[in-house]
Amino acid sequence: MWKKHKFWGILFSLLFLSALASLLPLPRLGKGHVARITSEGKVIKEIDLDLVSEPYEFTVETSNGYNRIRVEKGKIAVIDADCPDKVCQKTGWISGSLQPILCLPHELVIEILGEGSEVDAISGGVS
Amino acid sequence: MKNRPARSLALIGLLAAFALVTFVIESQIPSPFALPGVKLGLANIFTLVALPLLGRKEAAAVLTVRILLGSLFTGTTVTLLYSLAGGVLCYVVMALVYQPLGEKLTWVTSILGALAHNLGQMAAAMIVLGKNVLYYAPVLVLSGILTGLFTGLAAGFALKALRAVKKDR
Repeated sequence: MWKKHKFWGILFSLLFLSALASLLPLPRLGKGHVARITSEGKVIKEIDLDLVSEPYEFTVETSNGYNRIRVEKGKIAVIDADCPDKVCQKTGWISGSLQPILCLPHELVIEILGEGSEVDAISGGVS
Repeated sequence: MKNRPARSLALIGLLAAFALVTFVIESQIPSPFALPGVKLGLANIFTLVALPLLGRKEAAAVLTVRILLGSLFTGTTVTLLYSLAGGVLCYVVMALVYQPLGEKLTWVTSILGALAHNLGQMAAAMIVLGKNVLYYAPVLVLSGILTGLFTGLAAGFALKALRAVKKDR
């Protein structure tokens, strides 16, 4: 009788541990590619860039003007804006947390959360 | 037991009432985990007790009454859908394994049932929400094993006590 208890106990322990193990890297995987868009000090949107299958665009409008944002799998960019300096647009695509997109005139910040330490984040930003 | 339908019916009613009260009380306790779908499932103790004590059909009756009335008392039609999907799958698995496993391994029956329950709920969530929720599976496996063990042990002790009472008579 105890053999059976032991058998099931070990089986469920293994299942328990494997479920626990599969859960541990999940938060780390999810991070690094979540883009947070802050407008005038408020978080207006958080997008998990890894889950974007179809590219799409949307516009963030404030009393100061607008920014048109394009989202593709793994990256995000401001493609149009009516600010005077267009720094946000010139930043181009970002995919890591090393460089955020800033639009100072419109108080818009697009940053990628987590510790995405990819080299591409910078080279991608310059191009 | 089969020759005594009145006694069987009374016991079904009794167990269903116990299960229903447990279910309603449990739904009033705020979940210690902020995770959807994670709960103790104490009401399952009564399905577990009913299976070996009364039989498959009788246990199904206990479960059906508990789910239908429980959803009526505590929730909405969506709750009913989730409860049904989980409850039915849980019942099917437990009804299949409780005899080969035996009463001493009630906790195994319970864990398998809890896992099936969570699987059913996840399937229902996938259909209702139209989203892939498989990433949530590990959480439900963990909670299924823990809560299943807990309710299974409780049901095992209850069964042992009930059998002892029967022997005394």
